[in-house]
Amino acid sequence: MAFRDTLKANLDIALASTNVSVSAELPYSSAGEALYLKNMKFVYIDEDNISKTVLFPTLDKSDVTETTTTVTAYLAVDAKNDLSDIDTIISSILNSRNAVSGQTVNECEMTTDIEADVLTYTFNYNFITV
Amino acid sequence: MPATPINVSAANEAVLHLSAANAATANSAVDALVVPGMQDITINNSTGVFRFKTLDSTAESAVTTPATNQLSLNCIVDSTAFFGTGTGADDDAKENGLFGVSKNKTKVYFNVYFDGTDSGSTFLAGEGFVSGLAPTVNMDSPVWVTPVTIEVDGDFTQHEVA
Repeated sequence: MAFRDTLKANLDIALASTNVSVSAELPYSSAGEALYLKNMKFVYIDEDNISKTVLFPTLDKSDVTETTTTVTAYLAVDAKNDLSDIDTIISSILNSRNAVSGQTVNECEMTTDIEADVLTYTFNYNFITV
Repeated sequence: MPATPINVSAANEAVLHLSAANAATANSAVDALVVPGMQDITINNSTGVFRFKTLDSTAESAVTTPATNQLSLNCIVDSTAFFGTGTGADDDAKENGLFGVSKNKTKVYFNVYFDGTDSGSTFLAGEGFVSGLAPTVNMDSPVWVTPVTIEVDGDFTQHEVA
């Protein structure tokens, strides 16, 4: 199961009684505009990005590799009228990193960006396992 | 004359065999404990030096004294190689693993292959005791790794694979 699916399943429940929902679609651009900007108050989760790097190189080539998976999620809201439960929403999205099991590192970093009257939250999930 | 490096980029070029039985068993990859997951290996042949001064010379003279021989390596802890197969029919090094031969202070015979185990390849042999195990792990590198030292009893001998 892709981490994106795990995160979506977790957020479907965690955000069920809030002012935002989770979209099943990928955050692609439609007519030059990102979907999460067009459909505000929907969390869009991008595909998994996976990289494998050698943690311990060995002389017999039984190298130990480390797998890093990054997933990005987006949420756009009206910058003029803050959602009343935005703190709960952000907390739930940040905490959903713990839904992915079997990782040595479960991190989520949030950044914000305001353009015109749209406030966009970007969540960068980072998972590492060996 | 250009140097002829021994390239170990391919797998299984730098190889270490251990046997608790005898030197002949250490020659056999099937019977010996082949230490897996080595990250590095160092062969230390360090002679001592005795220096003395004489009245007819402006500089010290020196002679070397018997060497301290040692093998040291770092490896990923493989549970079978570290704790042994537990199979009584196996060579004791294989049966008890690195931890077993260290704990039991079992003498081991070793072969260190420089460029693989094919016919004509060079290796150093000797005997000694496994020491210096210190398995460690942390969340940044969540795989057990350990240094291993073989304190060599006597000299290294050089051979070629038949």
